[in-house]
Amino acid sequence: MKLLLGLAMTASLLQQGVDTGMLLQRPTTNWPTFNGDYTGQHFSPLKQINTTNVATLKLAWSFQTHQAAMKATPLVVDGVAYFSVPDHVWAADARTGRQIWHFSRTSSGDHLASRGVAMFKDRIYFGTPDAHLIALDARNGKKVWEVEVADWKFGYYISAAPLVVKDKLLVGMSGDQLNMPGFLEARDLNDGKPVWRWDAIPKPGEPGSETWPNAEIMARGGGMTWVQGVYDPALNLTYWGTGNPHPVYAGNVRRGANLFTCSLVALDVDTGKMKWYIQTSPHDTHDRDANQTPILIDGDYQGRPRKLLAMASRSGYYFLLDRATGESLVTVPYGGQNWSAGVDERGQPIPKPDVEPTVDGAFFEGTTTNWWTPSFSPDTSLFYVNASHGFSIAYLMPNEETGKVEDHQGGGATSLWSESMLLALDYRTGKVRWSRTGTGGGNGLLSTAGGLVFTNESGHLVALDAASGKVLWHVNPGGSLTGSPMSYELGGRQFVLTPIDGVLYAWALPE
Amino acid sequence: MSRRLFCATIVLAAGVALSLRAQQDSANPNLLRFCPGLGIPCVEITRQAYDRGHEQFRQSCGFCHGPTAAGGNGGPNLIFSAVIRRDNQGADITKVIQEGRPDKGMPVIPLTPTQIADIVGYLKARVAEVDKTSGLRPSRDYDLKKLLTGNAELGKAYFNGPGQCATCHSPTGDLKGIATRYPPIELQARLMYPTGVRQDATVTDAAGKQFTGELVQQDAFDVTIRTADGMQRSWPSRTVKVETTDRLAKHRELLSKYTNADVHNLFAYLVTLQ
Repeated sequence: MKLLLGLAMTASLLQQGVDTGMLLQRPTTNWPTFNGDYTGQHFSPLKQINTTNVATLKLAWSFQTHQAAMKATPLVVDGVAYFSVPDHVWAADARTGRQIWHFSRTSSGDHLASRGVAMFKDRIYFGTPDAHLIALDARNGKKVWEVEVADWKFGYYISAAPLVVKDKLLVGMSGDQLNMPGFLEARDLNDGKPVWRWDAIPKPGEPGSETWPNAEIMARGGGMTWVQGVYDPALNLTYWGTGNPHPVYAGNVRRGANLFTCSLVALDVDTGKMKWYIQTSPHDTHDRDANQTPILIDGDYQGRPRKLLAMASRSGYYFLLDRATGESLVTVPYGGQNWSAGVDERGQPIPKPDVEPTVDGAFFEGTTTNWWTPSFSPDTSLFYVNASHGFSIAYLMPNEETGKVEDHQGGGATSLWSESMLLALDYRTGKVRWSRTGTGGGNGLLSTAGGLVFTNESGHLVALDAASGKVLWHVNPGGSLTGSPMSYELGGRQFVLTPIDGVLYAWALPE
Repeated sequence: MSRRLFCATIVLAAGVALSLRAQQDSANPNLLRFCPGLGIPCVEITRQAYDRGHEQFRQSCGFCHGPTAAGGNGGPNLIFSAVIRRDNQGADITKVIQEGRPDKGMPVIPLTPTQIADIVGYLKARVAEVDKTSGLRPSRDYDLKKLLTGNAELGKAYFNGPGQCATCHSPTGDLKGIATRYPPIELQARLMYPTGVRQDATVTDAAGKQFTGELVQQDAFDVTIRTADGMQRSWPSRTVKVETTDRLAKHRELLSKYTNADVHNLFAYLVTLQ
């Protein structure tokens, strides 16, 4: 008995879940956080599956959730996969796909998406449609604690996976339905209590408030933080994008740049104080938010090593910055657009007034992306992003009885034509090295050291040559890739997980 | 709130309801249904109840809170009010109406229980209505006057000149009466890029056999056409030669050239083709 107990203790000591060291490593046997590691590169250094053998890739297992589309990136730690949809979290054996536990909780609030869970030690953390934050015991799925972060009756919900940083969880907030200001909160890992809060919309008199016409419209807010940010431990900074201002289409009632909406911000992780920002779509009037994953790259720029940050924003511009100072190095459009008249001295696009939505309709051309996790391969030095190029006509629609803009949209748009595509950008210049059309359309990307990029194209799951974009493997999985692929090694075998609607598929080479 | 904007909301709400509950409410056009977010229960109210509550609200509350509850002469916007949003079955709203908020300068409003119930119904619907406007598009009966800001003569000149529209279209041929065939808002979008236009393709297989029909889908992997017998046939893209007639190529070319003035002038010209 003593011996058995001893063995059991050894086993539990070996399986301690995620620790800080694991989060600082490249993801191999584990994929312990939303993007694999803190860099946001969504890159796997595994190369068992590679350009020479990917054509033989086979289904290893599948997991049927019987639920809505999975928009999450799964985690894998110590041979267990953790994944979620709104109101549900599962743990499954990452070798067989067999369920270990299932946590479910019926909630009010917006069920648009759950983009995944976070893990630290033996706890699983996630947000809910009613804007609560929950900690589960990773061994059995039992709830350890639950706290309310915001009031769902004002349209708040949590879709982003929390980001574990030191002793905190950084919790991004969602909420597009309402005129409420966005924010980012740091919560204590142990009990979920608030540590600091960063508000995306300043209060009257605070820096940034001068970019709004008045306090009333400023209070209508926007600037949600609904895509997980990234973290640089050496600089002690975390980088997050913010959502668009409200009312979305009615720029006429909020003249000015509308800080800090549509911005990429660098925050001190201990205090939440903002160190620098860049606005990717100043005075946005077409829902061109900055809720895209920034990618941290330690690389050469103009002949010397720099700590860089790269972002392909929804505004259609690619940004390369010095991530310590926020110094702008490159700002270039990555596709056709008619809304910007160039770039200002801070590296921010300058919006043209004549594309603002009007009652008679304003013509708009844009290239854009979304939450679709981009990927960076240190091997090819390419930044991969799913994008879309299109034309639309946008209308300003005040309330007909009062003539005022009363709802959070203030108008709407009719799409005329659009085309989805995958772009491989040179990270130093933002120039397109290769592209494919028909690719993407609502999923994230994974690049690997096997020289591959995994994505969706025309209803097929595909593996592309990361250097050229050539298709090396494809299969029609009976649904769309709705989340982001990720990869891990278990028992000497590399797996790639792909959320396809409500089913999680695991792919591997034949045994 | 006019009927016009209402229609937009009903269409939108019905669409959401369809995807959420797989049921249609278009059978009952008198029922308004506002669905604020995915998985959030929709608010249903009859048009009569909404109008009655709206009118009562205008009379009793509109002076301070605005006719649509979005704020007015000193009174706050009630759509974003915590009391309204957290109200439980009308009890909290009723209390405020009956007791007033003397500390904030709001008097007691003398109303009957029925009148209060009408206002409660309106406010709850109004909150859901404002919350659910994501993806709002102008309704099919968007007023022509709002769109008619261009110059028809300049539009005609663009049609025959730089737009090169006259190379494919004729105001006395295919476009005769075009303005009567579509609601103005659709006409405006269609003049730039028409939807539902058939594309044809001829597929030549490895043996040299040709198949002609409507192009259903073409991508890096497969090509599918519907032949004259109504059947669909598909081939791996790499095994066949595909020739397509793209009737919209010129429209796509123009998309990257239009200015707002071109669009509005062209629209004004097409509106004259009655």
